Amino acid sequence: MTNCPECDAQVDCGAMIAGEIFPCRDCGTELEVLATAPITVERAPKEAEDWGE
Amino acid sequence: MKTAIVGASGYVGGELLRLALQHPDLEVVQVSSDSYAGQAVGRVHPNLRKRTELVFVPHEKVEPADVTFIAVPHRSAMGRMPEWLASGGFVVDLSADHRLKDPAKYPEFYGVEHPHPELLRRSVYGVPELHRDALRGARLIANPGCIAIASILALRPLVDAQLIDAKRPVIVDAKSGSSAGGADAGPAAAHPERSGAVRPYAPVGHRHTAEIEQETGLRIAMSAHAVGSVRGVLSTCHAAGAGPTDDKQLWRAYRAAYANEPFVRIVHDPDGIHRAPDPKVLYGSNYADVGFALDPRAGRVVALSAIDNLMKGAAGNALQCLNIAAGFPETRGLEFAGLHPA
Repeated sequence: MTNCPECDAQVDCGAMIAGEIFPCRDCGTELEVLATAPITVERAPKEAEDWGE
Repeated sequence: MKTAIVGASGYVGGELLRLALQHPDLEVVQVSSDSYAGQAVGRVHPNLRKRTELVFVPHEKVEPADVTFIAVPHRSAMGRMPEWLASGGFVVDLSADHRLKDPAKYPEFYGVEHPHPELLRRSVYGVPELHRDALRGARLIANPGCIAIASILALRPLVDAQLIDAKRPVIVDAKSGSSAGGADAGPAAAHPERSGAVRPYAPVGHRHTAEIEQETGLRIAMSAHAVGSVRGVLSTCHAAGAGPTDDKQLWRAYRAAYANEPFVRIVHDPDGIHRAPDPKVLYGSNYADVGFALDPRAGRVVALSAIDNLMKGAAGNALQCLNIAAGFPETRGLEFAGLHPA
């Protein structure tokens, strides 16, 4: 368990692995698992408008 | 439970009937309308064709029932309430006639002395999120006004968490759809006048002000606008912050109030196209979507609340209150999630 950096809700990352992206159930923010021991998440980076160019 | 709806030809009465007909514990036995007495329900509420064979009777012909919903204009229910209560059943009054605890507020806001002030002490103001325990077993429930319940749900978490300055007036900017004016709203509701309107119909002095003040303890300065939609209320409340705060603190306040509430959703999404409450996604549902925004430059907290005025703002909330009062599951008959797109 950790907390959403946006809304402070508890988020359960369960068996997620580093790099996995998931939405916070309360505020909907997309979060990225940075590390699993200890569990660390942050707001997932947004793709820039020219992604893939 | 045998159920009667007094004033069933209006929009609120029609919604009550729609909900009651699909509620497994209610059997609607009488619907009344003085204007449409003798006519089939389906002629007035065409969505209910093939759902009921009921015919409207005059108000005076309504007999005692286990549940009586009162959906008549304000000031019409005051005199007759003792008679309806005499049956011993549950009475849910959707008019304003039993909402205010202070009898002195009736001359001020409704222009009449209340003939039965003793009933104001007895009635339970029907906001389940605030008064759930008092609603259990209650025989007289006063269903809130649509703008009132939207604004109360927006503001109470901020009051309870002491995040706003309660000594300064809170500005409530409310927008409501045309159905809030009722089925007999007059020439101002005619399509050429109403379509596309953004009409400040009560820049000051709206009657729901009294209810919001009663339930929040705040000094309310309300302006109400009629907009072009048929359904929906959006209440935008501007309050001075009590001190420095942040999004997380606001989240915690709203979560503390509503995390376990079946019909209140916190909407504060940093991305996407549905970031804040919008009544458009609530048509036909009993949800209230509440949200907030912080304006640190101005020291302002903005609290938002969207509802369907005929559902959480009237019939849906009334059924939720009855469910609690009668001991039914609170969400029974209210499961519809709304339409998207609508």
